[in-house]
Amino acid sequence: MSAEQTATAQSENSREPFPGLDTPELVTIAEFIRQTLPFNDLAAELLCPVVAKILVQYHCKGESFDATTEARGLRILRSGAVELRDSDNKLLDRLGEGENFHIAGLNAERGEVIATVIEDALIYFVPDDVYRSLREQDRHFDRYFSGQRNRRLRRAARYQPEPNTMMQEVRTVMSTDLLTVKPGDTVQSVAQAMSARRVSSAFVVENDQLLGIVTDRDLRVRFVAAGLPPDTLVSEVMTADIVSVDGSATLFATTLLMTQRRFHHLPVKINGETRGIVTTSDLILAKQDDPVYLVQHISRQQDVNSIKELVSGMANLMVQWVNAGMRAQQVSQVLTAISDAITVRLIQLAEEQLGPAPVSWCWTGFGSQARGEQLLGADQDNGLVIADEVTPEQLPWFAQLADFVCDGLDEVGYVYCPGGIMAKTDEWRQPLSIWQETVRKWARSPTPDAVMRVSIFFDIRCIYGDCKLAEALQETMLDQTSRNSIFLAALAANALDSKPPLGIFRRFVVDRDGEHRSELDLKKRGVLPVTEIVRLHALAHKIRAVNTDERLKALAAGKHLTIAGSRNLADALHFVQQLRIKHQCDQIVKGEKVSNFLNPRDLPKMAKEQLRDAFTIIDEAQSSVRQTYRAGMG
Amino acid sequence: MWRLQLRRLPYRKRIAGTALQACWHAPLPSTSSDWREVSFLVVDAEMSSLDASTGELLSVGWVVVQQGSISLASAEHHLIRAENSVGQSATIHNLRDHDLVDAREREQVLEHFLEVAAGKVLVFHNAVLDLAFLNKICRRYFHAPLLMPVVDTLLQEESLLRRREQAIKTGELRLQACRDRYNLPRFHGHNALLDALATAELLIAMASHRAAGKQLPLRQLL
Repeated sequence: MSAEQTATAQSENSREPFPGLDTPELVTIAEFIRQTLPFNDLAAELLCPVVAKILVQYHCKGESFDATTEARGLRILRSGAVELRDSDNKLLDRLGEGENFHIAGLNAERGEVIATVIEDALIYFVPDDVYRSLREQDRHFDRYFSGQRNRRLRRAARYQPEPNTMMQEVRTVMSTDLLTVKPGDTVQSVAQAMSARRVSSAFVVENDQLLGIVTDRDLRVRFVAAGLPPDTLVSEVMTADIVSVDGSATLFATTLLMTQRRFHHLPVKINGETRGIVTTSDLILAKQDDPVYLVQHISRQQDVNSIKELVSGMANLMVQWVNAGMRAQQVSQVLTAISDAITVRLIQLAEEQLGPAPVSWCWTGFGSQARGEQLLGADQDNGLVIADEVTPEQLPWFAQLADFVCDGLDEVGYVYCPGGIMAKTDEWRQPLSIWQETVRKWARSPTPDAVMRVSIFFDIRCIYGDCKLAEALQETMLDQTSRNSIFLAALAANALDSKPPLGIFRRFVVDRDGEHRSELDLKKRGVLPVTEIVRLHALAHKIRAVNTDERLKALAAGKHLTIAGSRNLADALHFVQQLRIKHQCDQIVKGEKVSNFLNPRDLPKMAKEQLRDAFTIIDEAQSSVRQTYRAGMG
Repeated sequence: MWRLQLRRLPYRKRIAGTALQACWHAPLPSTSSDWREVSFLVVDAEMSSLDASTGELLSVGWVVVQQGSISLASAEHHLIRAENSVGQSATIHNLRDHDLVDAREREQVLEHFLEVAAGKVLVFHNAVLDLAFLNKICRRYFHAPLLMPVVDTLLQEESLLRRREQAIKTGELRLQACRDRYNLPRFHGHNALLDALATAELLIAMASHRAAGKQLPLRQLL
């Protein structure tokens, strides 16, 4: 059978996809249902009998019902919209076309649920017995509904695509640092410019027209070996009539082209414009983009500038890792490992200049660096703990060290903390006992400012030096907070501050004004609430771990959270982080500024549903925080 | 309903022992019953011409509405063997002569229809046309017209629009236009069953809106 014949046979098959349906007119209904979750994966043999048993119902805007007033079963919205609220009138969900709900099914988990029609709705009603037998017959279908909505999310968070570097687009590895010269420039001046920029090729451009390319090899073969004078024009040695590759070509195709035609440099065009260049070493590097190499390389650099140069390609590296299937948690682990390595290297370089430390001390990371959850564009949050025997004369050594490291971090790309939370600030560079006193003061009178600081400061990790100092400080923090219900309540209020954008689900809650109008801040709305809830529980139960996943594991192990509750939060966090990283990668590839803002309308249907599930879980976790730590406080 | 019973009287003897008698025998709903307590049979037919004197019934589709819900299990579609060739109307109905090979005899379909219709209120969108054809074959086999209670969604919509003192524009009473007013989704018609389903959705939407959470007696729909 030829390919064409196969295609014809398939299209004929697809014309009658529901062999079990006696009435062909119902195919349109079957097709609609098969486009909705979880019916999309259901076999036709199972789906067809269901369609024949459907009751079509209509509800006007404003009608509401609960499990007792209407028949039990699954309701699929053909058109219109429905809101689900609990008995406290709190919005649980808002559903639109193609989405479904089972009131009694929700009832079991959350007390009474009331469905209110907010737009005239045509509903396909699957009677309870049919729905139940479907769940018995199909495991996948059953799983979608069992244990609320969590498993759907879990699967999404765990899904691992096949890593295949060679299928990446060439634009992700190309170098965009282009050196352009004029055809009338002398070879010598071009060679000097190339050395200064440390590039191995230059584009010869006139009137925005790419005339040719000149590479190290051209200089060697056509200039030096030919014994030409230094004032030879670059147009005489350049390679004209150059072949280029489109940015969307795969690395595989590009490698093939370059080896077959023996090119070492290949211009990359995007929308017909030369936007970058790819070299054979870029292609080799693309295969050796193991982050371990990068971390090792950092420790060998001799000054701030060379570190900066080494990590300048980090954004592109992240795109490669993500494209190769690296998960969000691993990416943030790697990015944190890199910032740790840079910090350590900068401290070592400072010590080379300043001589050994007068007393023992340690460098601590706070916030996302401490938790091992850094992403691109993180600013610096750090501090310095000095042993108590330090004398006033010895303090300038630490100030100089802190200046060197913080300035270096800023130079490399970890910008200064806007709130001044860094070792460079005197307040965040103290002997241990003063630190401990500060912590006690914050715990005694949790002003909003103290709570804000604590939320960064209590995620603490030793990065360099005598880690016992950081541990002693953490011990004080846990002692002060774990039984301090007033402090925990203040922290809870902070954790409840940022609400997940539940409720506007056909239109997510988005920022109302400014540059990010109609966009969703994934960090503020998704990541921070989880981090804060988990930190609160961890502090309350004296858990030392600072990484959110580790905290969740410890909380479940100590039975402070149920296994399901802890897993749900972890899945929600991983999903939002994954989305955030994916979004950042898209921005990097498009050459946009990396941000945490995303327009939910741009998400595919499945991702939108999963994001909603994640926010539902966060919302539930916030409710439980409210009950546990703020009972009676409103 | 007594008016209908009165009109049936002269035919009673004539139809003794036929399927029509069995159909008439079933008790009819009271006009004061709430619409949700009434069983409706929503029907649409395709014909070879719009003129009942020359045209023929080609297919008929129906679906039952009970307790305010459309039961897809009750959906039926029957092709009817034509006496003449389908001719011009094929372009409207996508029914060609060879489609009608599997068609059933008119009499069989009619008898089955009467079985299902027993005790129900018939619903059409523009009843005049469909009824003309149904009455024609009824008369042919039983020498009596159908004489069943009928709801016409087109007439209902027309009077609703008139009550709002709106001038009715061309096309405003077409099935899709009526459905749009109740936020019902687009449908692809020109098949008797699909049109019947679309009409049934219009019926429940219209009745739900007019009931407005209270009761809507059948009389207000007739």
